[in-house]
Amino acid sequence: MSATTTNGRGGHAAPVHRFGRDLPPRLLGFVMNLPTLVVLALVLAYPIYYAGYLSLHKVSLVQLRSGIFPFVGFDNYEKVLTDPLFLLSLGNTMIFTAFVVTVEVVAAVAIAILINQQDVWTSRITRFLILLPYAVPPIANGLIWAFIYNGKTGFLNRLLYSVGAIDRPIDWTANPDTALFAVAVPYIWRTLPFAILLAHAALQGINKELYEAASVDGAGGWHRFIHITLPLLMPVIVVLLVLRTSFAVAVFDEILAITQGGPGDATWVASWYSYKKGFAPPFDIGAGAASAFILALIVAVLALVYVKLLYRRVD
Amino acid sequence: MNEFSRYMAGLGRRGFLQASAGLGATGLGAGLGGTPALAQGAPWAQVPKGKVDKLNFVVWTYGDIYTKIAAKFKEDWGVSIDSTISSFNDHPPKLLSMYAGGESIDVSQSSPYSFWNFVSQGLVEPLSDMPGAADYVADMTDMMKTVAVHDGKLMGMPYFSTTWVWNYFEPLMEKAKFTPFKTYDELMEQSRKAKKDKISEYPIFWVAGIGLEQLPGTWMQMTWNRGGVFFDKAGNHQLGAGSIARETLKWWVQTFTEGLADPESLKQQFVGSAKAFSAGTNLYRGPNHHYTLQVANDPKQSPNAGKIKVHESPGDGRTIGTAHVYFVTTANRNKEWAWKLLQYLGGRTKDGEYSQAINLAKDAMLGSGYTSVMNSDAISKGWAPYGDVPKILDMWKKTTFVGEVCNSMYKPWHFPWSDRLNIEVQKALTGQITADACCDNLIAAIRQVQRG
Repeated sequence: MSATTTNGRGGHAAPVHRFGRDLPPRLLGFVMNLPTLVVLALVLAYPIYYAGYLSLHKVSLVQLRSGIFPFVGFDNYEKVLTDPLFLLSLGNTMIFTAFVVTVEVVAAVAIAILINQQDVWTSRITRFLILLPYAVPPIANGLIWAFIYNGKTGFLNRLLYSVGAIDRPIDWTANPDTALFAVAVPYIWRTLPFAILLAHAALQGINKELYEAASVDGAGGWHRFIHITLPLLMPVIVVLLVLRTSFAVAVFDEILAITQGGPGDATWVASWYSYKKGFAPPFDIGAGAASAFILALIVAVLALVYVKLLYRRVD
Repeated sequence: MNEFSRYMAGLGRRGFLQASAGLGATGLGAGLGGTPALAQGAPWAQVPKGKVDKLNFVVWTYGDIYTKIAAKFKEDWGVSIDSTISSFNDHPPKLLSMYAGGESIDVSQSSPYSFWNFVSQGLVEPLSDMPGAADYVADMTDMMKTVAVHDGKLMGMPYFSTTWVWNYFEPLMEKAKFTPFKTYDELMEQSRKAKKDKISEYPIFWVAGIGLEQLPGTWMQMTWNRGGVFFDKAGNHQLGAGSIARETLKWWVQTFTEGLADPESLKQQFVGSAKAFSAGTNLYRGPNHHYTLQVANDPKQSPNAGKIKVHESPGDGRTIGTAHVYFVTTANRNKEWAWKLLQYLGGRTKDGEYSQAINLAKDAMLGSGYTSVMNSDAISKGWAPYGDVPKILDMWKKTTFVGEVCNSMYKPWHFPWSDRLNIEVQKALTGQITADACCDNLIAAIRQVQRG
């Protein structure tokens, strides 16, 4: 291990070697990363491993209490993959995720550019206000929007009616054609600030001189965005895609608070399926874990696709 | 052999002697209701064996009844109670996670739908050998015995009972010059006329929100009222072509197709539908738990308190009912102390009163699982501010436990099948599929969920 000190003349002195010798760079890298690896192993890897373990065993109340889980091989996976409700839930999840991630990434970049305008004084207030939804607990967010959507007394219908957009109340969450998107809106409202935050931070890292040079060359706003902003934002967009996709496929709170899967199966998503399998009688936790594990694999594949396709373009 | 005989047979010699002693000591007091004589020597007044530092219960929220009863227990017995209180829907997951985590759980509660599953998975402690158990069983209503007594063993104690009733909104009925319907055809005619005359845009509000009891219960109630069931006694489904259940669903779907049913119905459960109906824009509220009249007719909760009336189902008035229970879990600290706590929730307190049952009747209009409470002032006077008590009690006599209509609830696959039922019926009610397709899908789903 070594420590760095200043030499008193504004420069940095050579590293002090506490143990009498340098660690090889590879070993040093490993040691420096070890704490993070241990934490990730505990909070991420072990639960994933354990979910995989449960998915290969018969697990219900009796087994959980006794601690004895009979091995059933891939029976739970077969059970889940042949259940039409799981396949439908998976389909709904993909539609939800595609809609949410697209809207979030586009909106995040657009809003980040707006609030990045230093010469507009209101952007400073907006920057602060825009973070507020992120502080709302997910389940509370769902309940708030359930009130907003109420067919008879909801604020949304009143607003639309008062501006003449509708002539009779629309029951947004009771209509199978609108229910999934009605759940997506509160979800986006809650999670968009995080995406804006990332995009805004990336924007601030772009050298202003690039824009000045482009302007001198006669580039308009659109061309500056296409040829400077977007390419330089691409790494953060990839990060956003990976993060937002992995979170969106696990949407649960808004479903629980607003629709509970209804009307019919219109908002049954994969995490709701896993919850119902594992946490409602007869508490088939093995099958619930299998469905969750399948979902995790899908997220992993999507993340790989993003990285392969988009990072290559960045390079 | 009736449930009580089976119960006594299941006690065994030692249990029988204890139970008989209990009955003798109370002079059959429990069966007769009120505070029994010799309360000090009665089982509920005896100090349990062993010692505990604390006890706990895991329940779903209902006002502040659990705070009060925990304080009373501490005052009477000097033992603190830890309460874990979640919402109704979150209760099974909470119970599961605590049980799986190896935590102590002395007392919990269950809807009738979950209870068979909890019993079959070994979560529920049999109580037949507990002092005073026979007294309680002797006083239970038949519906409560059906839920609480399994294979002759007492497994649970009464939380509440309810019957399914219709409601109507009197001012709109007067405006339309209607008298409450006597047949389903008349209900349709009245609803069409009310809509046409712009008295109500959606004359009927159903309890059609997703749930174990809500949407399924509405369909089951109307099927039973028309003389049908979902499964016969041998367990064969009765959802095929021409079945009463299928025809009932077709009729129900029609109320949505014609725009007579309020679309908001699809999201509302019992209390939510009572509040929505209290707005006074619908004529009728479909069959639902009787006690929600307390919400609809409470001036603090309803802008139209006193104007929502109870109405009997058509035909011979037959309807369904349910009974919820408290139970001691097999993860208890000390069975005798857990039994003591259980009695505070579902039986008698130290003074020999059915304190909780009486308070629930007075404060929340809940029915009791005890005959003596049902025959007491707690019901006749306690319910009076919210509804026509003699009329409701008359409907009570025509009430059959919902398990008679849908005996799949005694099977482990009922929960996943019920999920499918909620999905398919809502799809039918929203016009995505026909009632025939819905029933066909449900028949196919039976085989699928039975596979596990």
